[in-house]
Amino acid sequence: MASEFRARGAKQASPPATLPPPQYQSRYPPRDHHLDADERKALAQPGSLKQSQHAFGGLRLASSEWKLLAGIVVLALCVRLYHLGWPASVVFDEVHFGKFAGKYIHGRYYVDVHPPLAKLLITFMAVLGGFNGEFDFKEIGLPYPSDVPYVLMRSLPALMGVGVVPLAYLTLRGLDCRPATALLGSLFITFENGLITQSRLILLDSPLIFFTALTVFCWVGFSNENHQEPFTEDWWLWLALTGLSLGAVASCKWVGLFTIATIGVATMKQLWDLLGDLKVPPRVWMKHFLARALCLIVLPITVYMAVFEIHFMVLQNSGDGDGFMSAQFQQSLKGKGMHDTWADISLGSEITLRHVNTQGGYLHSHEHNYPTGSNQQQITLYPHKDGNNNWRILAGHSEGQPDHDFATEPIKWVSNLMSIRFEHISTKRRLHSHDVRPPVSDVDFQNEVSAYGFPGFVGDANDNWIVEIEYGDSHDKHSSGRLRTLGTVFRLRHALQGCYLFSHKVKLPEWGFEQQEVTCNKNAVKANSLWYIETNEHPQLGENDEKVNYRRPSFLSRFLELNHVMWTTNAGLTDRHAFDSRPESWLTLKRGINFWVRDHRHVYLIGNPVIWWLSTAAVVTYLLARGLLVLRAKRQYKDLNNSFIVKYDQICGFLTIGWFIHYFPFFIMSRQLFLHHYFPALYFAILLTAAIFDLATSSFKPKIRLQVAGVLIVAAVWTWWHFSPLTYAGEWTRGKCDAAKWRKTWDFSW
Amino acid sequence: METLRFSWIIAGALFVMALALRFYKINHPDQVVFDEVHFGKFAAYYILREYYFDVHPPFAKLLFGLVGWFVGFDGKFDFANIGDSYSIHQVPFVGMRAFPAFLGSATVPIVFWIMKESGYPTAIAAFSAALVLFDNAHVAQTRLILLDAALVFFMALSLLAYIKFRKLRYHEFSPAWWGWLFATGTFLACTLGCKMVGLFTFLTVGIAVLVDLWQLLDVRKGLSIEQFYRHFAARALGLIVWPAIVYLSFFWAHFKVLKFSGTGDSFMSPAFQETLAGNELLLNSQEIRYYDTITLKHKDTKVFLHSHEELYPLRYEDGRISSQGQQVTGYPHNDTNNFWQIIPTKALPATGRGRIVRHKDTIQLLHAKTQSYLLTHDVASPLMPTNQEFTTWYPDEENSRYADTLFTVDVLEANEGDPWKSKSGHFRLVHVPTKVCLWTHAKALPDWAYKQQEINGNKNPAERTATWFVEDIIGDETGEDLRGRTVKVEEKKVKSRNFFKKFWELQSLMLAHNAGLTASHPYATGPINWPFLISGISFWTENDKKQQVYFIGNVASWWACSLSLAVILGVMTTDAIARRRAINPIPDDIRNRLLNNAGFFVIAWACHYFPFFLMSRQLFIHHYLPAHIASALVAGSVMNFIVTEAIDFPVSHASATAPARRYPRTHTDIGSKAIAFLLGYAGLLFGLFLYIAPLTYGTPGLEGHAVNRRRLLNTWTLHFQAKEHESIVAEDAHVSDLRPLAILT
Repeated sequence: MASEFRARGAKQASPPATLPPPQYQSRYPPRDHHLDADERKALAQPGSLKQSQHAFGGLRLASSEWKLLAGIVVLALCVRLYHLGWPASVVFDEVHFGKFAGKYIHGRYYVDVHPPLAKLLITFMAVLGGFNGEFDFKEIGLPYPSDVPYVLMRSLPALMGVGVVPLAYLTLRGLDCRPATALLGSLFITFENGLITQSRLILLDSPLIFFTALTVFCWVGFSNENHQEPFTEDWWLWLALTGLSLGAVASCKWVGLFTIATIGVATMKQLWDLLGDLKVPPRVWMKHFLARALCLIVLPITVYMAVFEIHFMVLQNSGDGDGFMSAQFQQSLKGKGMHDTWADISLGSEITLRHVNTQGGYLHSHEHNYPTGSNQQQITLYPHKDGNNNWRILAGHSEGQPDHDFATEPIKWVSNLMSIRFEHISTKRRLHSHDVRPPVSDVDFQNEVSAYGFPGFVGDANDNWIVEIEYGDSHDKHSSGRLRTLGTVFRLRHALQGCYLFSHKVKLPEWGFEQQEVTCNKNAVKANSLWYIETNEHPQLGENDEKVNYRRPSFLSRFLELNHVMWTTNAGLTDRHAFDSRPESWLTLKRGINFWVRDHRHVYLIGNPVIWWLSTAAVVTYLLARGLLVLRAKRQYKDLNNSFIVKYDQICGFLTIGWFIHYFPFFIMSRQLFLHHYFPALYFAILLTAAIFDLATSSFKPKIRLQVAGVLIVAAVWTWWHFSPLTYAGEWTRGKCDAAKWRKTWDFSW
Repeated sequence: METLRFSWIIAGALFVMALALRFYKINHPDQVVFDEVHFGKFAAYYILREYYFDVHPPFAKLLFGLVGWFVGFDGKFDFANIGDSYSIHQVPFVGMRAFPAFLGSATVPIVFWIMKESGYPTAIAAFSAALVLFDNAHVAQTRLILLDAALVFFMALSLLAYIKFRKLRYHEFSPAWWGWLFATGTFLACTLGCKMVGLFTFLTVGIAVLVDLWQLLDVRKGLSIEQFYRHFAARALGLIVWPAIVYLSFFWAHFKVLKFSGTGDSFMSPAFQETLAGNELLLNSQEIRYYDTITLKHKDTKVFLHSHEELYPLRYEDGRISSQGQQVTGYPHNDTNNFWQIIPTKALPATGRGRIVRHKDTIQLLHAKTQSYLLTHDVASPLMPTNQEFTTWYPDEENSRYADTLFTVDVLEANEGDPWKSKSGHFRLVHVPTKVCLWTHAKALPDWAYKQQEINGNKNPAERTATWFVEDIIGDETGEDLRGRTVKVEEKKVKSRNFFKKFWELQSLMLAHNAGLTASHPYATGPINWPFLISGISFWTENDKKQQVYFIGNVASWWACSLSLAVILGVMTTDAIARRRAINPIPDDIRNRLLNNAGFFVIAWACHYFPFFLMSRQLFIHHYLPAHIASALVAGSVMNFIVTEAIDFPVSHASATAPARRYPRTHTDIGSKAIAFLLGYAGLLFGLFLYIAPLTYGTPGLEGHAVNRRRLLNTWTLHFQAKEHESIVAEDAHVSDLRPLAILT
């Protein structure tokens, strides 16, 4: 439809036929019904045609505006950096992100649910400040020793928080809003207590919001270029910047995926419009499409992967994140390497058996019995190397097990469908299963697995397991026919019960030392009943026999594995937290988060209620107005032919979609959520507030508009001041604190 | 060939074939199969009129009860396990199975008729019907005592009725228009009355109605706002108010029939239970008097309020400090340490009803064994720093802590002056000075309290989980016989309760329990597997004859349906893009039909399929049956689009007031080649159906290699498979993995 209006508008505004046609299409159709005060003023001035020149990113800033912008930045610096060193102890999630900086410095591998970019930047600041990584950020309230450059570390999020302010100003200007509007929007960002609190601490949200704002700004610039003239150098520059920035958002936190979705939706809208523009030939359309695919898909993925490459390069040593990763992955970490081990498995081999699908580790037994069922010795999975993981493979003879001397017996390889037994080396008991329910998964298709036997007992048929080879390694051709260390993946079927040796992510209670449960499952999911042999020794194998080891995983497989682990860990964060909240409570600022309390001082994350509530009201206003427009259009009112309405509908629609995409997906997440997850959406909502202000005051004289903006700004600054003791952990009287509880659900004064 | 008479003949022929396929050997197996465990049992409960609880609405089960009663089932068989024999216990199971088989058969001509009404040629309509007729999954599911046959039947009827209604759009507010509107509403309510999945059918029709209303709102339709409101109100009445009334009437009948106490009592509130004749609460609930010794039980965790002489340790592991008072814990077993005596805080008359404890009375509780009073105070409990510790207090000279031992009995849903009763009187015990209530949770204290459950004071005095009841009155001060204390047991009358309250209680319990069905089942599958028929469900096995009933669809039917969904989405996307470039690959009239009619079927499919992705309860492939019906309709539309160049136009009933037709009248002629192809495809369907039939009918038994051959996908988990390696004995079925769906745990 847009093209229709453009065509009609162009007809009215087109110059006499003698003049050359206009060089570019204006972003919005000329306002045929409406001229606001600014335009009247601008038209009255000589040289108003200057506007028609190509502007970089569509930004037309007067030189006085740059001075204004500089002033705003200085103000934001004061607001964000004031007493940055206080509280001089660990606050809230600095526990995690400070600790990670230490791990990077020592290169010790860790696993966290967030991508590494923001943490790497914080680490960079820590290194600049000479942090040695010894401080462990153990708990909230722990005072910082003098050798921890925590102020410098905090200054990174703080400076990025400052950066959001001019970005908001320029984005609003790029969206064709007036300077007064941009001033209002950027000051709202400056004085938003929640954004201030979050950016003054070693947290990831400030970099996230900064890159989100940067992306939006670049995208607006690109859209303006696109309307002026596509495929210019500037056009490519803005597009590439958008892509780089998108990659950075996603590399800070996965919430950045919502920013990608926002830009994705806007791109699809652009392409859809281009598709409907019959003046654009298919070849050019394809060029449009490929350029965007290159810059907005390929480029961000490259950035994201590059950040992980740096992450892996820094974290070279084994650390407390090892246990999350596969054995192959761990092989790539220093201090976790395994010596080469013999490849051929035969009767009499002393082996360790590892579960494929979980990181539970090795088949394990120890001198403790089950308190339930058969009361026989426990079988578990244990993640660490230990002598109790060692088993010897024996032949499965139902009539008894003669004592072999494997050092002299002829070697007999373990082939598919062979019946074998496993003898636990240190306790001499054998892996055993029977028709007894296991202790935790007490259901009728699960059997208990135990270690059973005593000196002189030759064992019984319940010790027999049948090897069923599932698949071998393509590099080792023997491995699909007989057992080979590391190469063969197989299942173990109990000869009598028909069940499969099985393990899953279920922990035994304290009596089993919280190790992972092992059962014999008649309906085993295949993935959880697969095993392989990790180490192997045999008295007859010597130095000259074939040895194997894990292959060092490629970057891509490590990258994919880590992302998979992050995903499952993230989805598993479902425990309740005392200050978690659900998305519906964010709109009304129902409750904040207690970050830090000490000596009657308090850091409590809460937004600036005036700004916050105004932003929510702006969203509701736009949605209602838009709904009304749709209904009116259905009854044939011609509102949408009014270019003035169309212009603001496009601005507000873009911002509202951004808000929606950064907000709504949280409803379907079941993990624990916090108020600060709303901040990216809040950024869009505040810009929307400004845009609606621009619309509402468009018929005002500039001076009056500035005065209205001034009143709103004063209200915002006053509330900021009012709640600042919570933001800066300042001094407050009991009475003032109680009086500041505007809502009963704000729980900052106990 | 396109005459009405011919259509009726085809519909009749389809019906007869469907009956033949669904009634074939319906008496086999003469054993309880799969969920007959539940639904057979429920029919028995209706016949015995004993109250039960289930997550599904009662309509289909009521029908089963009615059919069971009609064929002479006496309700004495309990359908306890899969594989229990019907013939030994003389259960008229054939009659009961005949009912779903009949509904399942009727679904086939309904599918045919939906397509006919939508303006497709008879051959195409018969093709859609054949996709359902020869589908093993529909056959297997509908010849057993299960709810899905009724669900699918009413779901198809709802779609048919809505299409009939829609075709009368130029006869608005005529009797026929109203008739089909209310028919749609009635069938929708019946669908919902079978299973909550019926909500998806509501959603389908709801979306169609919204689109319809949106178009009516368009000013070019020429309706004034008043006329539009009339349209709106008529639909609200026929599709919301009326179905609600019908749906409620099912519950009304349910409550009327089930008037005796049964297995479902304990799910319900005491007030509800007292409406059931012979209920334990009704019989054994006694009024409690002062100085009675009682035991108090927590409603959710079923532990007794317990105390013993051991003290709280001075310092807990986390460094916090206790009062070092006597421990008060929750203990699940009977014990004399659970006995508490009720001490009055006011003067009592010597005899008479003045000695009864009433709602809002303030009492003390004296621990009988240690003669100390229950007390709570502002000390943090052992496990939760936010909650108060409970302990007991040995009275001293000064009565120093008397005030801290006062508790108010807050009987739930009681009025001023109501007596506090054992069993039925659910209550909270609220501490007078601090307003905390006696609360417990399933967390065990450490070894110093013998791992008993923690009791503490919850600061929310209206906490829902802080509900307790008096399990037993152990004795009063004299040891007098408790019988005849209130009114004579025999004289106790069943109480009545407001229907809406009963309905609301049952409905919310159903939803809560439905969401709670998350236990794992060996045959549970995720929705993504269903359209591709990745795996089925083992319903029943018989080891000796190697027979099994395995619920799985006809590959030729399901894959064709899924493929046609992909085709229509592809076609519509391509068309949208082409139109953007001012190319119209599909003529407008055909495109309209695709959007409005096939689009409706696609929405029906999507509404019956995608919501399952959001559910976290256990899901099974038979949940896809309604969506399969919708996709069979889509398959017909797509087939029509492929084999013909035109459509039958118009299909709506013309009227004098209707606007001029936009397109000329057209007819399809699908040609003999297309008919030959369709007949050939039907033959393929029938052939595959017969091939898999031994798994569907459970007979004849198959040897290992025959089973292997019928395992068309290697993900099908059939029993009695032969192993590829001869060294291993063929695997026997483990009867243990045959499990009915968990209705309640």
